[in-house]
Amino acid sequence: MFNLIAIRIVPVLLGVTALGFVLMVSFGPDRALELAGRNPTAEEVEQLRRQLYDDRPIVVQYVYYLKDLFTLNLGRSDSTGEPVTSMLARTVPNSLALLLPGFVLGHLLALLLASVAALHRNRWPDRLINGCAVLGMSISFVVVMMSFQVLFASRYGFGWFPARGWSMDSFGQWLSHVAVPTLVILFVATGYNVRFYRAVLVEELEREHVRTCRMLGYARWRLLAVAVLPNAALPIITRLMYSIPSLLVGGSLLLESYFGIPGVGKITFDAITNGDQPVLKAVLGISSVLMAITMVLTDRLYRAIDPRLTA
Amino acid sequence: MLSRLALALLGLFVLLGASSWLGLWGDAASITTGLLHGAPSGEHWLGTNAIGQDIAARAAAGAATAFETGLAVALLSTALGGILGMLAGYYHRGWPDHGISWLLAVIDAVPFYLLVGALAYAAQGAPGTIILALTLAFWTGTARLVRAETLKLRETGFVLAAMTQGVADWKILTRHVAPNAAHLLLIQSTITFVAAVKSEVVLSFLGLGDGRGISWGQMIAESSQDILAGHFTGFVVASLSLVMLVAALNLITDDLQDRLDPRYRRNP
Repeated sequence: MFNLIAIRIVPVLLGVTALGFVLMVSFGPDRALELAGRNPTAEEVEQLRRQLYDDRPIVVQYVYYLKDLFTLNLGRSDSTGEPVTSMLARTVPNSLALLLPGFVLGHLLALLLASVAALHRNRWPDRLINGCAVLGMSISFVVVMMSFQVLFASRYGFGWFPARGWSMDSFGQWLSHVAVPTLVILFVATGYNVRFYRAVLVEELEREHVRTCRMLGYARWRLLAVAVLPNAALPIITRLMYSIPSLLVGGSLLLESYFGIPGVGKITFDAITNGDQPVLKAVLGISSVLMAITMVLTDRLYRAIDPRLTA
Repeated sequence: MLSRLALALLGLFVLLGASSWLGLWGDAASITTGLLHGAPSGEHWLGTNAIGQDIAARAAAGAATAFETGLAVALLSTALGGILGMLAGYYHRGWPDHGISWLLAVIDAVPFYLLVGALAYAAQGAPGTIILALTLAFWTGTARLVRAETLKLRETGFVLAAMTQGVADWKILTRHVAPNAAHLLLIQSTITFVAAVKSEVVLSFLGLGDGRGISWGQMIAESSQDILAGHFTGFVVASLSLVMLVAALNLITDDLQDRLDPRYRRNP
């Protein structure tokens, strides 16, 4: 446990924050000039630089950034003046409510389809599912997003749902706003997930104990549940766990900016286009902390599932 | 049969892109040459968009952009991932391995759009931002794969024999390891090519590119208002082009994988 944190996690955490810091502070636009407004005097710019610690060496600035990050002192947005912590508190629940249904349904659907494909390997159900997966992987996110909007939410299609916007006032409101994005996520992600699950299951199905179970006459689904899935759990858990950080803070830049949903993806997108450095630094820093937590949790889970790893 | 069709389709897009590079369409992609929302005609094969630019010419220019981005990102990230992956695998548990593995972990820990967004913010619209950002995001996959393959190759008889004879490291890497990992690099570069083409469209759709070239992503973004008003041509042309190119490339990648990589052989 201690070794994992000391050897793997701390260096990654430092690396991610340093990468983001160097990109945004060293290469990014000069923040003091941007904040100074029109026709600043040299003294005003100089004073702003001192306030932002921009006159200190870059290493000192980086240490201040780390300190701010760990004390959750994230500053205020350059464009709206709103504290970054309150922006995050406002947007994280929206992003989660937007992405969670697609995530859960998508993985269940993919696991189901992949099981069917793997159990009927090289026969028509496998070929059909694989063909659909390739087609799904080939259609761009933006194309699916816009087609579904026209199909389900405009007068040229069914017009069942609102075309854009967001509301979590009631369960029905949430459902009608989350429906089209969820369908988009299902369509876009299922192809990739099916191919992944199928590859994992096929590999496990070729092992000798599975052949023995087949010989003993296990039904297909019992075979899957008893002999295959427990052994396939590690790669599956890895894939699921490592999607969590982007589920929590990544949000979906595309879905949120296109459908006008006030989530983390939307504020991140706005921060990128407006050059809002405090927001970008906070989102990057928090996502790297979440990634570190995920690494620890995944390691714990491995040990809980596979007793060989604790030995 | 299917892969022949895919190759033919790919060839068609290469010709389309080349027609734009050779300037066969003139300025039609970027200036107003016809009516607004014009219908298809002899002069404008696929009609015109909301500001009277020729849709066919813009689709051709988009094909050129897709190939430029795809090729550049595939070549750069395969070269970077191949070289660093080989070094990390060959000097397993040495400092090159530790350093490179750390770099891989760091880059993969940043969510994709955040990495690209931070880079777009830093580059402030410099040319080649998209190519740089996508290379930075995609080389890690290749590097991991090549590192694992090199680890395996390092234990094979011919590499061990060369090591005991005292052959220089760079010679072992270039003569024995690289040729035996070449099939992986080829497969991985087609995978990267597809990913780059798709991501380029998403990034220009979001307006995070340098905004110089004409991209299918831009065409799709421009048509987002048009389709709600019932003008579908620009959207359909750009998205169909994208889907056909990516599907063709996906089929070719699968075929390559079946032929070159015994682990992925689906019909043994």
